[in-house]
Amino acid sequence: MVYIASWDDFLEKSVQLFRSDPEKTRYVMKYRHSDGKLVLKVTDDKECIKFKTDQAQDAKKMEKLNNIFFTLMARGPEADISEVGGKEQIEAQPAKKGRGRKQ
Amino acid sequence: MVRLQPDPFLNELTNMFERTTEKGSVWVTLKHSSDKSKVQRNKMKAAGEKIEYRCLIRATDGKKAISTMVGPKDHLRFQSSYATILKARMTALKKRERKDRRKATDLDKKQDSKKKSSVAKTF
Repeated sequence: MVYIASWDDFLEKSVQLFRSDPEKTRYVMKYRHSDGKLVLKVTDDKECIKFKTDQAQDAKKMEKLNNIFFTLMARGPEADISEVGGKEQIEAQPAKKGRGRKQ
Repeated sequence: MVRLQPDPFLNELTNMFERTTEKGSVWVTLKHSSDKSKVQRNKMKAAGEKIEYRCLIRATDGKKAISTMVGPKDHLRFQSSYATILKARMTALKKRERKDRRKATDLDKKQDSKKKSSVAKTF
């Protein structure tokens, strides 16, 4: 069990893990409201990677990962996920710039 | 484990989030699954049949467990409803981004003015 600090590393490794063994890999989200904590886990029972956070902004990143895994798991490991993640990134970036300028 | 249709599953998931606001956790698991036993899969493989895989979603609060399956045709609708529920229920996470930004810009300003004054002194 390894907690990964960097979101981008976690994202990349979790997709890698799934593609290397799609039949065995699962993606688990655990949310604890009373402590305000969110833990994401991806494992194939040999390797296990985790990401822990208490930040609302990470919930948005999780939404993207959810969409990636829904696509991969419902359509198969060969499914194209470049648009699943890409589209939202493009949408998110100009929005951030916009807010920055106003301040 | 109760197998539900996607919509009732989402309703029950909402209830789980409501039940665990004071104590407890909710787990949601996503898995690539054919929903068939290994024996069945091996039989199908031996017979040369194509095994269909879909996305299995399980949820539990430690007391009750529910599950549903979505395929290529309905996962988009499901994932957007799921995202809406999460957004509405995950309200205990900290929203610190804005404050941090303000602090950061304040610091930047201070540093800038210091730089400017030091630059002014050198001239």
